[in-house]
Amino acid sequence: MRETIASNKTSMRRASFPMSVLPSSRAITLGVAVTLFGLLSVLPVIYMLGVSFVDANGEISFSNYRQLLLDARQRNLLWTSTLLGTGAALLATIVGAPLGLLLARAALPAKRLLRIALVIPLVIPPYVLALSWILISGSQGVVAGWLGSDLLSEWTYSLTGAIIVLGTSFYPLSMLATEAAARRVNGRLEEAALLVAPVRSVLWHISFPLIAPTVAAAALIIFVLTLAEFGVPGILRVRVFTTEVFTSFSAIYDFGQATALAVPLLIVVLIVGILTKLIIGERLLATRRSVHPGMILPLGRWRLVVIGALALILAASIVLPLTTLAVESGRPGRVASAAWMSGAAIFNSLFLACLGATLIVVLAVLLGSGRARMRARCGGLVDLLFIVIFAVPSTVVGVGLIGLWNRAGVMGEIYSSQWIIVVAYLARFAPVAALMLAASVRQLPTSIEEAAKVAGASWIRTFTHIVLPQISTGLAAAWVVSFIFAFGELGTTLLVAPPGESTLPVRVYTIIANTPSTEVAALALLQVGIILIPLTLLGLFARGQVGSRGKRI
Amino acid sequence: MIQQQSLVHRLDNFKLHKRLAALWLVLGLALLAACAGERQTTTPGNNANTGGAAKEVTIYVSTDRVFSEPVLRAYEQKTGVKVNAVYDTEETKSTGLANKLLAEKNRPQADVFWSNEPVRTLVLKKNGVLAPYKSPSAEGIPATFQDPENYWTGFSARSRVIVYNTNLVKPEEAPKSIFDLAEPKWKGQVAIADPRFGSTSFHVAALYAELGDERADDFFRRLKVNAVKIVPGNSVVRDMVARGEVKVGLTDTDDVNVALEDKQPVAMVFPDREGIGVPVMPNMVSLIAHAPHPEAGKKLIDHLLSLEVERSLAQSEAVQIPLHSGVEGPKNIPALTSFKPMTVDYGKAADRVEDVTRRLQLILGL
Repeated sequence: MRETIASNKTSMRRASFPMSVLPSSRAITLGVAVTLFGLLSVLPVIYMLGVSFVDANGEISFSNYRQLLLDARQRNLLWTSTLLGTGAALLATIVGAPLGLLLARAALPAKRLLRIALVIPLVIPPYVLALSWILISGSQGVVAGWLGSDLLSEWTYSLTGAIIVLGTSFYPLSMLATEAAARRVNGRLEEAALLVAPVRSVLWHISFPLIAPTVAAAALIIFVLTLAEFGVPGILRVRVFTTEVFTSFSAIYDFGQATALAVPLLIVVLIVGILTKLIIGERLLATRRSVHPGMILPLGRWRLVVIGALALILAASIVLPLTTLAVESGRPGRVASAAWMSGAAIFNSLFLACLGATLIVVLAVLLGSGRARMRARCGGLVDLLFIVIFAVPSTVVGVGLIGLWNRAGVMGEIYSSQWIIVVAYLARFAPVAALMLAASVRQLPTSIEEAAKVAGASWIRTFTHIVLPQISTGLAAAWVVSFIFAFGELGTTLLVAPPGESTLPVRVYTIIANTPSTEVAALALLQVGIILIPLTLLGLFARGQVGSRGKRI
Repeated sequence: MIQQQSLVHRLDNFKLHKRLAALWLVLGLALLAACAGERQTTTPGNNANTGGAAKEVTIYVSTDRVFSEPVLRAYEQKTGVKVNAVYDTEETKSTGLANKLLAEKNRPQADVFWSNEPVRTLVLKKNGVLAPYKSPSAEGIPATFQDPENYWTGFSARSRVIVYNTNLVKPEEAPKSIFDLAEPKWKGQVAIADPRFGSTSFHVAALYAELGDERADDFFRRLKVNAVKIVPGNSVVRDMVARGEVKVGLTDTDDVNVALEDKQPVAMVFPDREGIGVPVMPNMVSLIAHAPHPEAGKKLIDHLLSLEVERSLAQSEAVQIPLHSGVEGPKNIPALTSFKPMTVDYGKAADRVEDVTRRLQLILGL
């Protein structure tokens, strides 16, 4: 009914103003966003795929693809990678999703602090997290020292160990996504259900299905991130397929072969992505921005259990590794001197990551809103495109960016400046932010936008005044995640960064090779400290929102 | 009721406006900072037009930053030429500057490549990334460490060494040859870095070139049977030995020296002094073909090959062995003349890397 009114209105306007055959402001804005996305994120990948079909003599050839996956060793590696990705994604979701629900719905003490603390594992570089676990549970680790015998090292240096390290490293993503989704669930639906059913069954039948797509999207992102990791599996002596791509670059120097080897990884991501869609489906119900917040989770007699579990998670994922790093880094002077020496790199990193995250969110919210209003099937395909582009190994993206941007003219100017790092951040992380924000926009009912349209509001006005304010939590979450990703980005930055002082991870990385582990620990602590500053500020900013809702409850 | 709700809505909207305004403020500030930041950060590109008398030079360095940066800073202070450097490491996480140089081949950004081991330089030579240059400073460096075609010149060498934990292994029991590492005595007690990357890839390629495929394959098979632990990098090998997770490992001189300076319980053995010889790895410096500042690049190369730089690298924590005769070597490290270096045809070793990589992936189960 509403739709008919809206379309009637539009056709009326069309009829009276011939000018409106010109593309609408919506079409122009989304067109620009899609073009930018194509240029920044998609083109480098297409360029590299092109390279993979050219042989050494410059002829078109399939030789890079001929040998793919025929070899038992590589099939094994791909299987291990898939297991690792699935295991870590499941673990991160099992830990992260309930935490997100608790943060959104339960009355917990010091919630804001708790949220920031629980995000910390995400900002510790996974490699450093693995290192600290080796210091704790390796054959000469703290635990072996206490027990007098080595019980854990077998388990540390194994697929299980890698799953646990990466799962604890990425659970905050699932937590943040779940919290954002749970906040948007219409409280009225739950209230209505509560009249006839107990809390548990309302959670199970009403709340979970509503947040499931977001939780699944987060799990998929974690799967991709785990698949991209070879630092952690390397140090825990687990052989994964991703190292193959890296080997083609670093041992064989064959860009085409490296890109071809990335294709099986992308196919795995595609399959897992499709499976996730099939299992979860498109059960995304439009919910209105409600003055009725969702139901409060009554913890009741579970309160102690929940607090105990929280303490356990905090201890295992944050206190233990950070304490180990602090002990290893020795005196506090080390961290201070590391900070003093890294001033320029810290400034670069904060500045580039802030700018990068902001631009990513601007681009991604346009892409996401475009995707959100597509028909279900097309939209699903776009989601898959986002996740597959995100899964392209950072080195492939880096070499692709060099090939595209290192040329005479404006692009070359950008390539020779720090801006290319921002380009790299956009190329790598705009797809994943778009995926997150598309989920946020899809939770909005189209009726409000239609109503605004009927009332004569332009698309831009509707977008800035109706859509954006309603997804502010999602925007904040996307910004935080993009910022953390950008701040920690290493693989692409190493390749494209211009001469001169680069970002903090590059600096840390280029000086850790020969330095004693004490200095590595100091630098890692520094990196965690620096990245927490803007996050804490943002946490304080977000406070207004949470607080004002809290009052209404 | 309806009125009340719309009031709430309006209030809500007001708050939203405030929040949106704050967001725009942050965005504006970020942009402002962007402009300010842009002015601060130098743009090293745009150098193709500045010609030969450039006051700047761009160098890509794979020798560890802690060792190479002081050398480059000293050059800046001495000459007033600004050195733009890109650093890298040989650890497995990095794909290395060699890839950046290869990808930039059509429009080079670098003038000079300073590599910490031979394989990458030779790969770049093969791919047409380098230009020949015979530096006057190369005078006095033994011919084995110079490219007959002048695409690279070696200087300040490191060596592959056996590192052992002094709490767990007595000096007289320490392995003297890398072949000892395949003995049952060391079962489960040996760590090596991933042989596909970094200086280990040079070492294994040189071994294949020296021993022939059959003997080399056999050696690595026996290492595998001996449950050798393969880890991401040479510094990881050193740390595992220092912690006592394994008793012995194969790593580089500079890695061990850092642990020695840190008073950790490790010592090193220069392997195979009697047999096939000690695997010596020089740094290599090369001019980049179509470099933006070729003259400035050549001057920097002359400086890097000077006695002064060899001396300072020898005295630094890098403990690199000078190749010019007459430069005093580092403490605790035998002079180049005091042992038999492994004879390595660097070109041949580099050509073997791909094939050796594939063999070892199968033999060692990588």
